[in-house]
Amino acid sequence: MKTGSPSRKFALPPISSSLLGNGLKLYAVPLPDLPLVAIHLIVPCGAESDPVGQAGLADLSAEMLTLGTRKRSSFRLAAEMDGMGAIFSAYAGWNITSLHISGLSEDLERHLELLREIYAEPAHAPEEFEQLKQRRIGQLIQQKDESQIIADERFQQILFEGTPYDHPAYGTLESLPKITIEHVEEFYRKSFLAPGSFLVLVGDLSPDRCLPSVEGIFPDLGRKSPEVREFSPPLSRGIRTRIIDRPELTQSQIRLGHIGIPLAHPGYVPFEVMNYILGGGGFSSRLMQKIRSELGYTYGIYSSLEPRKFPGPFTISTFTPTDITFSCVREIASVLQSFLEQGATAQEREEAVNFFTGSYPRRFETLSQIAQRIIQVELHGLGIEYLSAYPDRINGVSLEEISRSARERIHPQDLLAVIVGRAEAFRQPFESLGPVEVLP
Amino acid sequence: MKGLPEFSEHRLGNGLRILVGGGHSLPTISFQVHFAAGSRYERPGITGITHLFEHMMFKGTREVGAEEFSRIIQANGGSLNAFTTTDNTSYYENLPADRLGLAARLEADRLQNLLLTQENLETEREVVRSERKLRSVNSPFGLLIEQLVALAYEQHPYRWPVIGWDSDLRSLTLEDCQEYHRTHYAPNNAVVVIVGDVLPDEAVRVVESHFGPIPSQPSPRLTITPEKPQRGEKRAVFKKVSQVAAFFAAFHVPGITHPDLIPLQILCVILSVGRSSRFFERFEKPGKAVEAQAEVGYPPFFSMDPGLLQLSAVASPSISVETLEKEIWEETEKLREQTLPEEEVRKAKKQARSYFLQGLQTLFSKGLLAGLYQVRAGDFRLIYPLLDRYDSVTPDEVLRVARQYLRPENRTVVTLQPVSQKEHEDLGDVE
Repeated sequence: MKTGSPSRKFALPPISSSLLGNGLKLYAVPLPDLPLVAIHLIVPCGAESDPVGQAGLADLSAEMLTLGTRKRSSFRLAAEMDGMGAIFSAYAGWNITSLHISGLSEDLERHLELLREIYAEPAHAPEEFEQLKQRRIGQLIQQKDESQIIADERFQQILFEGTPYDHPAYGTLESLPKITIEHVEEFYRKSFLAPGSFLVLVGDLSPDRCLPSVEGIFPDLGRKSPEVREFSPPLSRGIRTRIIDRPELTQSQIRLGHIGIPLAHPGYVPFEVMNYILGGGGFSSRLMQKIRSELGYTYGIYSSLEPRKFPGPFTISTFTPTDITFSCVREIASVLQSFLEQGATAQEREEAVNFFTGSYPRRFETLSQIAQRIIQVELHGLGIEYLSAYPDRINGVSLEEISRSARERIHPQDLLAVIVGRAEAFRQPFESLGPVEVLP
Repeated sequence: MKGLPEFSEHRLGNGLRILVGGGHSLPTISFQVHFAAGSRYERPGITGITHLFEHMMFKGTREVGAEEFSRIIQANGGSLNAFTTTDNTSYYENLPADRLGLAARLEADRLQNLLLTQENLETEREVVRSERKLRSVNSPFGLLIEQLVALAYEQHPYRWPVIGWDSDLRSLTLEDCQEYHRTHYAPNNAVVVIVGDVLPDEAVRVVESHFGPIPSQPSPRLTITPEKPQRGEKRAVFKKVSQVAAFFAAFHVPGITHPDLIPLQILCVILSVGRSSRFFERFEKPGKAVEAQAEVGYPPFFSMDPGLLQLSAVASPSISVETLEKEIWEETEKLREQTLPEEEVRKAKKQARSYFLQGLQTLFSKGLLAGLYQVRAGDFRLIYPLLDRYDSVTPDEVLRVARQYLRPENRTVVTLQPVSQKEHEDLGDVE
């Protein structure tokens, strides 16, 4: 059956940018379809700045902003947000701290006023901080029952050992009790409107009307960002298996992978196309075809490269019944090997390219999706024109580039395997691949 | 209403209903086929067949090979999936608007020409069993919720899980699948919804050219036993390896067309949505509960037949689950004692209104709203008064529904009791 790229033209939503007097960059995107707005204030430093032993500091500092201002208790602030039907959150990603408000456009000015107050006048109340830590500790205890979360976290911790990405951004049961409100206040002072901070407004709004109300409400940008440890992972560590023993599980969670390349790397776009064919393209991918459709070993299998400032993780994720855990990993390795040896076909390339170009308009469907696109290009210095040039860049990826990307950027000889499951059922065969450690 | 398209309705001679809604800001459409096929149409012994059959719909026809359906849609810039619930099975493709004909052709093809083979069944059986392990057996609360629902319902088919019991999944046959296809996958048992950058006349013409020749089938004979009113609290304990203790409770509530569901949704917002909610303030914030939730669904995900309002709390290590449960009932009892402050109800109404609008940002979600109301409530037009219905809820109405439905006699409770690995194993297989 014939395939092809869409003929109807897609135009990016109208994105305007301006520089405020305090140095803060403002992006505004008017979209009047629904009476909604989304506001994102982005500070370009996140969990990568957590000092050693203080995993979770950046994220705790972000969440503390939501827990009251000098004028409003945490309950009053929450009641005000809920009273507007607004969704309000703050979190630290690896490279950013994000404050986000989504709500009805009739409340836009009030949202902006509160955003300024939340950011510039946090209460940092010690009793709120202690409660926040206790809530997180409770959640982390509960998460010990979530094998998918355990697999994701332990995989990244082990993979990125010795780098700024070597801990869960949310914190750990060991780190959280040691973090104090003074640490949070210090982190806040250092990261407060760090250089490169920007604001993104999307929705039923008029940029001309927004600018005056935004201008002047934020203080001047800071001069320095918090320090980030050097990113220097070891080059090759061979094939390693780490089994997190959970004897009660009847199915194993499997993560396989290694460190990839950063988003701003020139090889990132070819990697995206290559990865679609390998494991990112759902039922079109080789991994899904083999492991699910042919063998029935799993409900789902995907490979992905997480976009980050430093090289992010390239991960193959799946799960399978305990008794076929090793067979599943062996079959995955065999798919990888044959892909590296044979490369992609011209048809696979064409289908992958058509997927990316044809689905591109749908990456601009919701307010938050549009904001995320802008945040990504601004944060990684790609320039807003990256968004309009992207389909052409995808179209320009050749078959040779895809095969080269696979050969140069996929390293079967350097895979870390993290498996959460019943260790005694499958430990032994893994020893034929390389060193195995069973961890609690 | 701003944001919600006017849907036009069309009927083909074979009974297929087509709903078309505009949305022209992007050159894309959402193409959806909703079947009146869900686990409520199953019977003991073949539980899970609806969902397993959804998987089989991707295994190919005479024209299109196994899993080719997905590959072709994606290769045309589309994304696709399907889902099965108690009340419907839905298939969708979100794709460039000029690929409408492709989606219609492929969907009509698999409705009419599906190839069901023993080999495909065996592969998908194992895939579904793996999915069941993921969603139920190895998830922290999956089996607990299965037990809660099985205890709350004694007669109605909602009592078994959509994914089915593992023993039934193992014994389903190819003949069961063939019979299921014949009975439920007919144009007169389906609704096609198209939303996006398309004109209604063109959309109907394209759908008719592909679906029009498919003959209708006799309507399936339904034997759905209604649930009797519950006349006293039911309780159970579920033991498994767990880091936390928890309880899950369910109260019987009416189905999607009943006017009480919206005030019940407002009641749930008051209890547990947002950081100024009662459960957050009293239980989560001070660290008594890791999580405390009340939910009854939201449009269009209210159940077709009388459903359940579920209320759950995960105890933090500092409190026993018995104490937590007692305090939760004290808190819910307050809603039954006197009228709530006007301001608190106003806040919850605005939250519900805002979340409803936030949920309408994609063509897919707009199509789902219309399609599921058509299948579950019998009329997609019921979506239009929803925002006004939120506005009309009064504090007295919230009090009335709290008194009517949150009665202890109408309650079923299952408590999760953590045990050691040894005890967990001694209690038998968890499949």
